[in-house]
Amino acid sequence: MAQGTAEPAIELAGVQHSYGTAPVLRGLDLSVQRGEIYALLGGNGAGKSTTLSALLGFIAPSSGSVRVCGIDPVSDPRGARAQMAYVPENVSLYDHLTARENIAYFLALAGHDTGASVIEPALGAVGLDSQAWDRRMSGFSKGMRQKVAIALALARDVPVLLLDEPTSGLDPRAVLEFNGLLDTARERQVAVLMVTHDLVSAVDIADRIGFLTAGRIEEEQQAGEGARFDLNALHDRYAGTGQAI
Amino acid sequence: MSSVGLIARDEWRALLRNRAGLLASGLLVLLVLVASFTSLERRVAIEADRERYQASVDEQFDQQPDRHPHRMVHYGQFVFRPIAPLAFFDTGVDSYTGNTIFLEGHRQNSANFAEARQSSLLMRFGQLTPAFVLQTLAPLLLIFLGFASISRERERGTLRLMAAQGVAARQVMQGKLLAHGVIALVIGLPAFLVLGGFAATGAASWAAVLPMIGGYAAWLLLWAVLGVILSAVLRRSRDVLAVLIGLWMVGVILLPRALPVAAEARTQLDTNIETEIALHREVAEIGDSHDPDDPYFNDFRQRVLDEYGVESVEDLPVQYAGLVSIEGERLTTGIYADAAERSRAREDAQNALVHDFSLISPLIAIRQLSMTLAGSDLAAHYDFLQQTEAFRYDFVQRLNRMQAELIPGIGGEDPRISAEYWQDIPRFHYQAPSPFDRPSDLIWPAAVLLGWLAALSVLAVWASRRLERNLR
Ligand SMILES: Nc1ncnc2c1ncn2[C@@H]1O[C@H](COP(=O)(O)OP(=O)(O)OP(=O)(O)O)[C@@H](O)[C@H]1O
Ligand SMILES: [Mg+2]
Repeated sequence: MAQGTAEPAIELAGVQHSYGTAPVLRGLDLSVQRGEIYALLGGNGAGKSTTLSALLGFIAPSSGSVRVCGIDPVSDPRGARAQMAYVPENVSLYDHLTARENIAYFLALAGHDTGASVIEPALGAVGLDSQAWDRRMSGFSKGMRQKVAIALALARDVPVLLLDEPTSGLDPRAVLEFNGLLDTARERQVAVLMVTHDLVSAVDIADRIGFLTAGRIEEEQQAGEGARFDLNALHDRYAGTGQAI
Repeated sequence: MSSVGLIARDEWRALLRNRAGLLASGLLVLLVLVASFTSLERRVAIEADRERYQASVDEQFDQQPDRHPHRMVHYGQFVFRPIAPLAFFDTGVDSYTGNTIFLEGHRQNSANFAEARQSSLLMRFGQLTPAFVLQTLAPLLLIFLGFASISRERERGTLRLMAAQGVAARQVMQGKLLAHGVIALVIGLPAFLVLGGFAATGAASWAAVLPMIGGYAAWLLLWAVLGVILSAVLRRSRDVLAVLIGLWMVGVILLPRALPVAAEARTQLDTNIETEIALHREVAEIGDSHDPDDPYFNDFRQRVLDEYGVESVEDLPVQYAGLVSIEGERLTTGIYADAAERSRAREDAQNALVHDFSLISPLIAIRQLSMTLAGSDLAAHYDFLQQTEAFRYDFVQRLNRMQAELIPGIGGEDPRISAEYWQDIPRFHYQAPSPFDRPSDLIWPAAVLLGWLAALSVLAVWASRRLERNLR
């Protein structure tokens, strides 16, 4: 597990946010270093996606501070977003475009190079069958769509990756391949914040696992040497969280 | 390329890859062309008929035998109003007002043979004009193409993904506005080309064609912009569609039909029959020239005798009955003119009310602009009536003077004057009015359309701010 520089790439401190009168985040503290993979767990509706929205500057927390590579995403959303790649929960991309066109379009919007030398390695890395690269995405399965969204995030080549349930819809082999991609990202000193319900995958790949309950990180576990995490204990803990929500 | 350009380009790419959208757009373009073609054909046919009838009517008039001039006053003249060159594009009120009029002594006849009254079902299909397609159907197509422009991105999560690439909501808004603005103009393009072709060949003036194109461009843009704004403001595509269709039904279908009815209720127009009865009463009140005791005509006789310095009508160098006819015509014409003026003032009041409502329904504005420029608006119709009335008065009084001056020299039981005189009577020459004679009919609608576009631009700025805050 490689630790990056002293300043964390992602940092939330005392973040509070409510939708209307319903509080979702209640003093959330969370930080991810460069070269670290952080798995954020929590029951449905716990506020995991909301946490990512705060990092992206989609919402402005009522109090607390949010920093991405030292940038406040509320006051400088463009600056912050230039540092992040994001795989949303349930993104469909465009059915009228091919996988390649989809990636090229969003890369162009990000002001990124859209050449084949950028797109093809990314599509290859996520394991999307090369025959599908130039097919319209209207015929794609959920897992294929997810792969394209991940390929887009990888192609951005930025220091921070925000992944909202990236392995949902992926078959076991694709999950293994995906974990391999995260390994590579860690080696390239990328900070990864991954929201997931996939405990097995999280145990496999994460450096730290955090449980989001009642709007704050209730418990955090650091990977140890050897066995890293105790899956059974985590499972009981996680199921307990689910009931609590 | 800028994000705005990229977003617009992708919107066009999406449309080009959408078969249903392409098909609908293609059908509309086809409809505009078919409407232009059939409308033009019909105009040519009507014009040919008009010329033929006018020629034969004129010839018959010229071929009248030697006659008493008063017989000719009642023989009258038929005149036909030529159709304005751009009226093929927008038939305006022409279909209701009629384009032929019978001119005779003692009375003003209304214009007849409005197509809407005489036409068969087939002819009514022929009423399909490019103006109708652009005013009524094109907005529907623009709604269909634009309603989901932003709401679909939100629903599919691509809006967040765009934002995550650093695109501002303002840029999304601008890109979609650019895309749909251009689509609106492309949809109008075939009609604009037809108009431009008309101007290029000299059949119509650029001065009328260019503002017409500008007006329709504004009208189409208005719907494109409205669609994009609502798509940004409302969360779900189907809500956007429902609201847009609702606005279309109210603004394009309901209001333009309901408003004139409401206006009519406010300022009641007399029906033709009421007008006739009232006029007969007024005319009767002037006096009866055949009644030896009638006070008005006794006075008149005295004035005439004094003027000629004679003692009795038999001593007059002119025919007294002819002078009475001239005086009678002068009086009745005055009464008819007053009545026409009153009725016109009421109709103007109604129209003013409808004009005011074009603030709510810009369709009324584009309709007014289009009809005025096409020369098929109510003002052009009134102008025709005024020209024919001036002509009629002159024509009748000429014959009355012939009667007064020529008949005494002829005498006999059945005095007639030579048929050669008929040829000297001038024929009606219609002077088509310029649409720029009544600038308010152009400036007001143009201001309404531009005002709407300006208001929508402000709304678009507000909507993009709101979108920025509602990205999640
Ligand atoms: N736009 C919104 N308006 C109102 N409430 C919202 C909105 N978005 C989320 N919420 C509420 O905030 C809470 C947290 O939502 P969030 O999407 O962050 O949960 P999550 O942890 O990602 O859940 P899941 O595991 O199901 O994805 C939920 O109760 C949800 O109903
Ligand atoms: Mg979520």
